[in-house]
Amino acid sequence: MPNCNTTCPYCGVGCGVTAQLAGGQVSGVLGDGDHPANAGRLCVKGTALAETLGDEGRLLHPVLAGHRVSWQAAIAALGSKLQEARERHGPDAIAFYLSGQLLTEDYYVANKLMKGFLGSGNVDTNSRLCMSSAVAAHKRAFGEDVVPCTYADVEDCDLLVMVGSNAAWTHPVVYQRIEAAKQANPGKRIVVIDPRRTASCDLADLHLQLLPGTDAFLFAGLLRHLANNGALDRAFIDAHTSGLDAALDAAGNLDAAGVAQVTGLDAQEVATFYDWFTATERTVSMFSQGVKQSATGTDKCNAVINCHLATGRIGRPGMGPFSITGQPNAMGGREVGGLSNQLAAHMDYDPADVDRVARFWGATDMAAGPGLKAVDLFQAAADGHIKFLWIMATNPAVSLPDSALVRRALARCEFVVVSDCTAQTDTAAFADLLLPAAPWGEKDGTVTNSERVISRQRQLVPALGEARPDWLIVTQVARALGLGEHFDYRGPEAIFREHAALSAFENNGSRAFDIGALAQLDDAQYAALAPVRWPLPASGPAIEPFCDGRFFTADGRARIVAVQPQAPAPGEGMTINTGRFRDQWHTMTRTGRVPRLSQHRDFFSISLNPSDAAQLGLAEGDLVEVGNAQGVVRGLATLDPGIARGQSFVPIHWSGQFTAAGGASNLIPAITDPYSGQPQSKFAHASIAPCAVASWGLLFSREPLVMELAYWSRIAVSGGYLTLLADTAAPATVYAQLARELGADCERAGYEDSVGGDWREVGRRGDTLHYALFLNRSRDALPERGWMTGLGSETPAAGEWHQLLAGFSAERESAGKLVCSCWEVGETQIARAIEAGADSVETLGAALRCGTQCGSCIPELRQLLDQAREDCAA
Amino acid sequence: MPRHRPRTTTAPPAARIPRRPETGDMRRKLVIVGAGMAAAYVLQELAQLEHDLDVTVIGDETEACYNRVLLSNVLAGENSEADLAMLEPAMLEPAMPETDSPETDSPGTVQFVTGTRVSAIDTDARTARCADGSEHPFDALVFATGAGVARPGVDCSGIIGVEVFRTLRDARELRALPARGRRALVVGAGLLGLEAAHGLNELGFDTRVLHRNPVIMNRQLDTEGGAQLQRDLEARGIHFDLGVQIAGVAADDNGRLCGVTLDNGERLPADLLLFATGITPNIELAAQAGIATARGIRVDERLRTSAPGVYALGECSQFGEHCFGLVAPIREQAAVLAAQLAGVQHPPFCLQDYPTQLKISGVEIYRAGELDDAAEQLVLRGNGVYRRLVLRDNRLVGAVLVGDKRGGTWYSELISGGGEIGALRAGLIFGRDVSEALAAA
Repeated sequence: MPNCNTTCPYCGVGCGVTAQLAGGQVSGVLGDGDHPANAGRLCVKGTALAETLGDEGRLLHPVLAGHRVSWQAAIAALGSKLQEARERHGPDAIAFYLSGQLLTEDYYVANKLMKGFLGSGNVDTNSRLCMSSAVAAHKRAFGEDVVPCTYADVEDCDLLVMVGSNAAWTHPVVYQRIEAAKQANPGKRIVVIDPRRTASCDLADLHLQLLPGTDAFLFAGLLRHLANNGALDRAFIDAHTSGLDAALDAAGNLDAAGVAQVTGLDAQEVATFYDWFTATERTVSMFSQGVKQSATGTDKCNAVINCHLATGRIGRPGMGPFSITGQPNAMGGREVGGLSNQLAAHMDYDPADVDRVARFWGATDMAAGPGLKAVDLFQAAADGHIKFLWIMATNPAVSLPDSALVRRALARCEFVVVSDCTAQTDTAAFADLLLPAAPWGEKDGTVTNSERVISRQRQLVPALGEARPDWLIVTQVARALGLGEHFDYRGPEAIFREHAALSAFENNGSRAFDIGALAQLDDAQYAALAPVRWPLPASGPAIEPFCDGRFFTADGRARIVAVQPQAPAPGEGMTINTGRFRDQWHTMTRTGRVPRLSQHRDFFSISLNPSDAAQLGLAEGDLVEVGNAQGVVRGLATLDPGIARGQSFVPIHWSGQFTAAGGASNLIPAITDPYSGQPQSKFAHASIAPCAVASWGLLFSREPLVMELAYWSRIAVSGGYLTLLADTAAPATVYAQLARELGADCERAGYEDSVGGDWREVGRRGDTLHYALFLNRSRDALPERGWMTGLGSETPAAGEWHQLLAGFSAERESAGKLVCSCWEVGETQIARAIEAGADSVETLGAALRCGTQCGSCIPELRQLLDQAREDCAA
Repeated sequence: MPRHRPRTTTAPPAARIPRRPETGDMRRKLVIVGAGMAAAYVLQELAQLEHDLDVTVIGDETEACYNRVLLSNVLAGENSEADLAMLEPAMLEPAMPETDSPETDSPGTVQFVTGTRVSAIDTDARTARCADGSEHPFDALVFATGAGVARPGVDCSGIIGVEVFRTLRDARELRALPARGRRALVVGAGLLGLEAAHGLNELGFDTRVLHRNPVIMNRQLDTEGGAQLQRDLEARGIHFDLGVQIAGVAADDNGRLCGVTLDNGERLPADLLLFATGITPNIELAAQAGIATARGIRVDERLRTSAPGVYALGECSQFGEHCFGLVAPIREQAAVLAAQLAGVQHPPFCLQDYPTQLKISGVEIYRAGELDDAAEQLVLRGNGVYRRLVLRDNRLVGAVLVGDKRGGTWYSELISGGGEIGALRAGLIFGRDVSEALAAA
């Protein structure tokens, strides 16, 4: 069986994946043991990659105005609409909105086309939502967007500070590396700074559960503490930095008590953290979306970086400020210049850079200055200024803040092109032209992970339908626009070589991003390229950034930035926080198709503190509505003591394809950081209230169903979908609505108890169950979810179909809520194993295999063990 | 089909019951008039009791004590005649000479006189005279004369092809008829009509059922249950004309049936016409003997008629305003009567809400309690099944099950028990196991 090494397309860890190929199919995936990011490990999402392939839900043909068209017609239409908008309204009326999901080569040609040949800087990317505050902070501090750490530093450090990062769920393999390192080095300390008690707190020696948005106070106070306690590295500061005094002035006299007051922390906890930081040379501060997705995200990142610059803890092993990115190729996008305020290859819009890039490209219409950043771009579209918008590999209708604004923008824009691998997304619904893009496994290129490692993503199977790689689509459009000579690439190899050459072009050490050594790769070398970390200059030593104390500012000194900490503006109601779940990715367009990835967290839920819930009269699973001026979401209440009082957590994954009103972005105002333009996605105010529910329902169906209900939420299960639904109307009314959608050509069997409010129906086609619907006034009266999940393979004897209406079968015992997605081990099984004597994660693993693959369920296993011990003691 | 209780061939020795002193005989004589199922049940019950009765059973059919309920299966070829036996074969053998020693504790004898009918009964002389001239003295006499097919309201006398279906002989004759390609009309979609229709359909007749009510088996089923059963029977090839009555019967020049006219004017061709519009209790003999009768022979709660020492049970009897047609109450009557005859304590007969439990053409039917449309309903339909439970005040009051009668007995218990349903409600319609498991969950 031939294997092929490639790279995982999910988070910014960028794990190497070994795909096992059999009969032209990917039969399975394993972690690539030789990849520096993961050395063989994979998380559950990566493990399930093979299950995301296939044609289910795929966009397989170009669709123009709702009709399937040929590629030729699609490209021609795109070209003429683009040209028309540009000629009639000027270059700033056109825009590309790209994605950290694109490969570097895709990104490069799209960026080059717009900025070099269409005369507009309007290329932005969903990476704006992810890490642009880190980019801005890096540029302010280092003069260039350079990440000075690697995962090895995270392992080697003696103090790891995780700031706004739930790596256990969002970067599981890095978390596993941290876990292993801590096991090997029990003296290693871990501090988690997060307003939520997350799974990552499992490892923490100290969890600082601060008030949302107050991180900068903590780090400004730390800088002050370091100065007050003689912990500054004066030599390093003098030789390699500037700005310390102003930064200290800005920090003022914040002491631990003052910090405690503004952050809501215990002064002793703050003091402990400060003491540990002061005393630990080898400290890594890993920061992520928790601080970046903020109206003051850039300042927060700089507040963290400042503490490293002031202690000289940068550019050496086991230390440094480490921005960990969310997306697989956020870094690659930054390298090609995919952000509207960058030009290309870490060059910006100063005239020398513009001239240099223009000469390199042979540009015919060079953008003179930065384009619009994501939120501004969509605002401009909503205002009617953007007439042509091409969206690639992203779902802004779900992911951008203020979804209502985004919908207005997409509706108003005259011609919207969406390139995607998935046919039905909330964004695709607005597209005038849909282009089938080849997804992971069907295309070739490179990505760069959070530690600057460039890895190949390789084609494993032929593209399905008429899907094409994005770089090819872009170059064909360029050709249609008469720019063929500038986009004459035979394949991604040629694009990569050009990209590498541009990074080295007139560089001479002036830019850290230099991969000139790769500009001469021949096709075979590119095909076989092993993971490599930049910088990789064509000549001279490839040194780790900043190890020589040289930064990429004009004077070569790093800037310690004066940060004036600001608390978020006060508001009414609860504080809304948002984030990821362990087993889902972004808007679920791919992971949402994999049954086992929908088991850990199934239906759209909103977490809140149990005391707040009690005050609102809410029990676990009740329907709640969270709303503010932006919009409304409705989800099931999840009571989580890890959420502080007055706060609520809304997961970001749910789109209109998976739930009725679930887009977290509906609640997020379009407030952005002034430097980075990154939206404040992790902070909003909203009111929360219980929803009166007259009907609850569970539906197994072969097809996803259209429903006009107060709440529904759907997951993929084996052989179909499972939908939980709730509405304010009585079961009889809900039934009447659903009955119309439930497949007319089915043989039906139903049960009704109209006074009891109990409606059930199963429909079959021959020997196959087509749907099973259970509606009840009471949620508790619905069949057990585990039973519903197995219905796809249920084939009762001919006379027994109506027995399914019992919603119950004595033979099958449910495994309970899925905890370990890799081995599909449920809570019930785990509880039984604990009863039978398993008393540790290891013994549970030995008995059930749970936690033995990706390990991301280990915090939950530990929680279950603790719970069992408490129950035992009680 | 009723389930037979375990039987013993000899009664256990026990304290003798004193004989009537005025007879010189050592043993009393019991005559049972009629050798149908009711008689068989009495014999079964007596066989389990200590008594001093020598029994003579007199029946006009050649065969005695067969299971009439299964006749439609015999017609359909689904059961053999041998399957109809209700008594031990030895019991039915010709009577032995009465040479037994009366002093012994031997059980009473049972003598069958078949192929003749009792023509007169003298309740004073205590004799029963048969059409063949024989006379049978009795101490006690039981009417088990059953019922006949209700006469149709249309004149069809002398027309060849108008048949009845009541006896084994009828079944044999019907089976002997050429069926393939011929059209049979059954009038009446009650239990008997549908069973006959099933049998004829299986024989190969192109079978059609006429029914006055728009719902078949409307006495047992509700509208939807009737419709479900109708669909099942239609799926087996039986046709229905509902809400119509027969207005006339037409014969050809040879006096052979050729069709019928309906009250809506429609004409239907037919080669065979079978009336199953109900039964009429056979009471003439009792009436002639001066015994009180109404629709049936009047009996009290001990099955006593107006004449001392004379009893009646089964389809010929009438208790209060009730006549009987289904097996369950008749079995109960037999138990009361046998105890009465043997002088054994037994609760008196009372009317109960006997659940109807049937199987027509393979379709199970169960019905118990009242089907009150104004009460709360739990309904399951589809997959060839219709189940409806009726609740009032959180109690089960009625059940009708078509196509899947699982749980029927439990429902009857719940109905008669009258307890609150409570948490059993969610799974109630799926029977006891599911209901209790769900209630426990």
